[in-house]
Amino acid sequence: MALICIRTLIIFLILVVVMRLMGKRQIGEMQPFEFIITLIIADLACIPMADLSTPLIYGVAAVLALFLLHQLFTLIEQSGSLPKKVLSGTPAVVINKNGVDMNELKKNNLGLDDLIESMRAQGYFSLDDVDYAIFESNGRLSAFENSERAKTPSSMPILIINNGKLLGKNLKVLQDDEEKLHGFLSTLGATLKNTEALTVDGEGRAYFKKRREKFKIINYPLRQGVKW
Amino acid sequence: MVKSTLSMVIVALILAAGIIYETTFIRGEFRELTVATETLYDKIEDKSANENDVYVLQKKWVSAKEKLHAFISHNEIKEFDMWIAETVKLVSASMWDEALSKTEVILELEEQIPKNFKVSFANIF
Repeated sequence: MALICIRTLIIFLILVVVMRLMGKRQIGEMQPFEFIITLIIADLACIPMADLSTPLIYGVAAVLALFLLHQLFTLIEQSGSLPKKVLSGTPAVVINKNGVDMNELKKNNLGLDDLIESMRAQGYFSLDDVDYAIFESNGRLSAFENSERAKTPSSMPILIINNGKLLGKNLKVLQDDEEKLHGFLSTLGATLKNTEALTVDGEGRAYFKKRREKFKIINYPLRQGVKW
Repeated sequence: MVKSTLSMVIVALILAAGIIYETTFIRGEFRELTVATETLYDKIEDKSANENDVYVLQKKWVSAKEKLHAFISHNEIKEFDMWIAETVKLVSASMWDEALSKTEVILELEEQIPKNFKVSFANIF
């Protein structure tokens, strides 16, 4: 039993470090150590249940050791801001008044597409629908809605440039080619490389963000009759 | 806060008690078995052992394993069962050398199994 407790502690600590390093992508609505417990508790209970050669007490001891670790970590986490920061991380402000903060997204191993997906789940389809978006330490997205947000968006914005990378498939929806896009970017004094985000909706309304600059809402010259 | 601290203390105590009980119980059981096996070993060495001498050890083992099932791997128990059964056969056939080597294996198992529960680097990893 002592060995099981020690081994559980080692595996648990390794998983806490790994999950913290993985960022917010891997967790959802749980603190990292809670997520780890959920992840391993099912297996711990199943192995002695299904494998008749393993004494049941192996599973019981490991589950009890995990419970003890959970309680201990909860106490440590609540004891101050530094332990909380180390164990659970801090909320990440990924959209601020200047637009999307790519560095903050990168720090949390997230991409612009992950942010757009999380925003859609919250009912925001355009990056400028919110003034602030925060990935909480439990992986959930909280958003502070933009008061000037269009209440009835006519079409969904499509991501065309994701952190300097052109999404060719999405560009095809616009029925445009790279040449036209490069031309459009040069009118804004930007290149593909230094464009962090470009989304365009069916009305030609574009969210454009150049590296180290505040985002702009501009008009993208859509071809006649192009709609989605 | 009080509730969670209390639950932590209770679980820690249960685990600590379990660890102590497991360690002392396993050591105690295997110590008794070792004494019985050593007696059998001496008799086999003197070529004076008979089936009943092995049955004494087997009986002790059968009563010990009822509880040991809760702590040690069932495969190890099965292994132990087999070695004793083989020793019974070999002693009844007066195959002393073979019986002696089987008894040595039993003694080795009695020494090694409790060691598997010791908190040591090798056992943890």
